[in-house]
Amino acid sequence: MDKPSEFMWGLAKQLIAAEAVARNGSDEHEAFRVCEKLRASVTRFAGADSFTALMRRSLAMSRADVPALETVKIGAGGCVDGLEKLANNGGAEAGAAITAHLLLLLITFIGETMALRLVREAWPDAALGD
Amino acid sequence: MEKEGKNGGPERVKIRKIPTGVPGLDEILGGGLPEYSFNIIAGAPGSGKTTLAHQIMFANATPEKPAIYLTVLGEPAIKMLRYQQQFSFFDQAKLAGAIHFVNLSQLVLDNDLDTVLEEIIKHVEASNAGIVVVDSFRTVVRKAQGSAGTTDTELQAFIQNLALYLTSWQATTFLIGEYVESEIRDNPVFTVADGLFWLSQSVERNSIVRKMQIIKLRGQESVPGLHTFRITDDGLQCFPRTFGLTEKSKNVKGKQRLSIGIPALDDLMGGGIPEGDSLLVAGPSGGGKTILGQHFIAEGLKQGEPGIVAMFEELPAEYVERAEKFGIDFDTPQKEGKLKIIYLRPLDLSVDETVHEVVSAVKEIGCKRLVIDSLVGFELALAPGFRSDFRESLYRMIGAVTRMGVTIISTVEIEENFTSMSLSNFAVSFLADDLLRLRYVSINGQLRKMMMVVKMRRSGHSIDMHEYKITTDGIVIGEPLRGYQGLLTSIPGPWSSSSDIPEPTAEGIDGDVLD
Repeated sequence: MDKPSEFMWGLAKQLIAAEAVARNGSDEHEAFRVCEKLRASVTRFAGADSFTALMRRSLAMSRADVPALETVKIGAGGCVDGLEKLANNGGAEAGAAITAHLLLLLITFIGETMALRLVREAWPDAALGD
Repeated sequence: MEKEGKNGGPERVKIRKIPTGVPGLDEILGGGLPEYSFNIIAGAPGSGKTTLAHQIMFANATPEKPAIYLTVLGEPAIKMLRYQQQFSFFDQAKLAGAIHFVNLSQLVLDNDLDTVLEEIIKHVEASNAGIVVVDSFRTVVRKAQGSAGTTDTELQAFIQNLALYLTSWQATTFLIGEYVESEIRDNPVFTVADGLFWLSQSVERNSIVRKMQIIKLRGQESVPGLHTFRITDDGLQCFPRTFGLTEKSKNVKGKQRLSIGIPALDDLMGGGIPEGDSLLVAGPSGGGKTILGQHFIAEGLKQGEPGIVAMFEELPAEYVERAEKFGIDFDTPQKEGKLKIIYLRPLDLSVDETVHEVVSAVKEIGCKRLVIDSLVGFELALAPGFRSDFRESLYRMIGAVTRMGVTIISTVEIEENFTSMSLSNFAVSFLADDLLRLRYVSINGQLRKMMMVVKMRRSGHSIDMHEYKITTDGIVIGEPLRGYQGLLTSIPGPWSSSSDIPEPTAEGIDGDVLD
């Protein structure tokens, strides 16, 4: 099983940080918001079923690194359920793991160029480093 | 006031032809795809429909005139993109605004045809698309046909409105679908379509042959019939049936004679092979057919005439090594680009592909002399389905090459028969302008070699049957075999009742006899 590279972990953390800034009083977990934004981009070209399938795989792989994710589920349309309950119980680590694994899957299937283009489309204004 | 066209009548609407990006396909389509046409790409799974659509899309999409690829319940987009990226035409840079992928699966599942149409229109307008692909359109129709509330008339109206809207939007459209041929008559989409591309692949014994047919193309003349194509790392490549046969030939056959490289044989042929002719050399195994071809190519190279050897049996390295034994250097001219040795033996070769390969090589090096060694190997290299049309294939191949002014020697192996003499097993001698027959004869307990010029279309020739030998200098022609009867049976006897059978001579033969 492939593991996310340092680059993917770094990007995942940057995206979560960008969402933390843009949180604006919302109770939603930053990683949840990251996945939701990616959901919109991926669903647009690949469909909701494809995104759901990717999220289920992403969660399964993340659980190997973050056992606390056992309580998290993937709902209809690929929505992450239960991430907010992990807030003080490894929530940041869990969110980064799901995001990094999702990026890994996207890069594996559609290539880095397309995957990063989707990220850029979802965060057009974010200052994402290399 | 009505504007006049070239022929004095009213000026016609000019339909621009856009390139497909598929080598050979523009020629089949009569110059390219009619702009703003509404097309169907149909065929069985695995026939190359999606790849064809992608290739056309990547060839034409620009940020100013983008393409939109709408996926509907067919191959999942994420998988499709993973595989399509492997092709060299998949230019990632075009994903930055020239090409958009949109998934409509859920929309089609949840809504009626009117909503689907509205959504397609919305996406096309938002992207300002000039190329629209719906993959798979078949599933849109199937879903509608499966819905209790949708009538055939509504389905027809949907297709008509889609075509109307997309054409009016000035988009060139491709609907992809896994259709079968029996559906052509009853399916409204085929009536509305301007172009119908039918892709198929057939398995014949162990070979697979891909074919494309342009069943319909409004507004321009396409080349009818089935055209073979291959899918490689570069995508599709088509081999039009008429490749090399449509251009007007400026070459006049027989303006001059080409030496075969064996002066005595040139004399037998009335001064060499007329330029642009096709000479068939028929004979048994070990008769020297390949060496004769090597003489011909070597002589051409000496005269500054580039040559091609199309091989179907022997490997090029072996061929070059064999020539070396007769003092012929084929290495240097190959390095200098004056000689090309093409080895064609994938075993599922199509005729069109072979013609394409040879004609392209002829153009590339300005070839004047071609050796096809051998026709038996050529036939075996073809996919089984093409072997039944071997004579037609050969006709096309020889026609395409001789039109370019190239002089051809083809070899064909003939099984020796000691009671009669056939000209060639393939009955292809009608395709040859000139025919040279080699054969074994049994004389005085020896198996000797004999050759005769059977036909020279454009001139007189020797009617003698000559003995010849293969020496370290190559083929050496000896004296005519006189005083025998029944030479053509290979077991001759003396003409006279005398029991003294004249000993055939091979005067002038230098070097060691190899056989």
